[in-house]
Amino acid sequence: MSLVRVALGFSLAVLIGIPVGLLMGASRSARKFLSLMVEMARPLSAIALLPLSIIIFKARTFSQLFGLQYLRYQKNLLNEMQLGMIFILFWGGVFPIILGTIQGVRSVRKMHLEAAGILGANRIFTFRHVIIPSALPDIFHGLKLGIGRCWMVIIAAEMLPGTNSGIGYLIRYSYQLSRYDIMLASIVIVAFIGALFSKGLESLGEKSLVLRSKER
Amino acid sequence: MMALKVTNLSKIYRESTGEVHALGPVSFEMETGEFLCFLGPTGCGKTTLLRTIAGLEKPDTGEVEIQSPPDGGESVIGYVFQQGALFPWMSIFANLEFPLKAKSFVRDTRREKVESMLEMMGLSSFASSFPHQLSGGMQQRAALARSLVMEPDLLLMDEPFSSLDTRTSQELQENLRELLKRASTTVLFVTHNIEEAVYLAGEVIVLGHRPGRIVRRETINLPDQRSRLSDTFTEYLVSLRKTFESLVSH
Repeated sequence: MSLVRVALGFSLAVLIGIPVGLLMGASRSARKFLSLMVEMARPLSAIALLPLSIIIFKARTFSQLFGLQYLRYQKNLLNEMQLGMIFILFWGGVFPIILGTIQGVRSVRKMHLEAAGILGANRIFTFRHVIIPSALPDIFHGLKLGIGRCWMVIIAAEMLPGTNSGIGYLIRYSYQLSRYDIMLASIVIVAFIGALFSKGLESLGEKSLVLRSKER
Repeated sequence: MMALKVTNLSKIYRESTGEVHALGPVSFEMETGEFLCFLGPTGCGKTTLLRTIAGLEKPDTGEVEIQSPPDGGESVIGYVFQQGALFPWMSIFANLEFPLKAKSFVRDTRREKVESMLEMMGLSSFASSFPHQLSGGMQQRAALARSLVMEPDLLLMDEPFSSLDTRTSQELQENLRELLKRASTTVLFVTHNIEEAVYLAGEVIVLGHRPGRIVRRETINLPDQRSRLSDTFTEYLVSLRKTFESLVSH
């Protein structure tokens, strides 16, 4: 359950974070305009926003969003996807992704941009074939930090009242039942999955990293 | 036919620490198919000159006229950087294909052109290698190939061989002469290496120290097949060296 939530929240963060980061990296005016907002929003802990997001989104879930809450499945997956929770996951994940992407776009070597221009590439072509590939290592770094954040946020969020599923819930519940064995096992699982996320993204990003670091 | 006309070109870099008068004013003309070499000590504004002609810098005074080709299209400029301008995330093939893709050539044409260029440069076996897997000499060869694949009307070369060892550098100089014999490309080459200038150029212009100004113009009357050991070659070498020394000493 936690994994599905993270998948939803994180994908949302990726879908918004990368384009916003690209825009902010490429355009000075977009950067000026948005950076203050980003810098104000970034230090706000996602967990701190959970109560607020519950007020905003009530206890609405994804199934209500799509009008499916009356479907009689035993376990309607979408019924467990509280919008507030997805929102704070998005919040936790999006800023590292935005910052990583900006960093990537800004660190493109000037010579490569000039070479592309002389070789007849227009702005869109340069963006697609020069800026994005050379920004990839930093983007992946942002993704790695982002998913780590998401994972931390979801565990904490699930431990708060109002949830009855997910591994964070399991940790709290087993604690209440004094089943410390289950609690410890859950913590180990959390650690493993977190490491898995990070290693997975790392190996995906590795190819682009190797090419950049070996550059002479 | 005139290929390039530069009039009263000058460039001043304004930085927080003050102004640096980097270049000029400099005026010269080039005929189509000519090989002109700018020779000058480090920091004399050679690179600035090339960058301004290529449109990478805006001149403070003067102008650059580049003759459009007879077919009426836009003139194509090639630029070979000192080093490291290949895209490290692309294979050599993809690097060469880049300008053709940018100009929306169809796939088959691109392939054909890239393959024949690789063949001509002796790079065929490196087509799928990445730049970091190649030696410095091979990288510069690939960079040259990437500039030539779009058949430029004007080729600007900024000390392209200066980062290489002497032997590799001479090898590439020989290759360049061979290649240019087949095409009528106009080449503007910039170097601080006197021997390289005499070996390659039809005409040498010596640039003086900051701000870069034309100090001496010398036509190199040597046969196409040049030997570095011939007497005339050495005479040019010594004579240019004298000009060069007088520039550095004061």
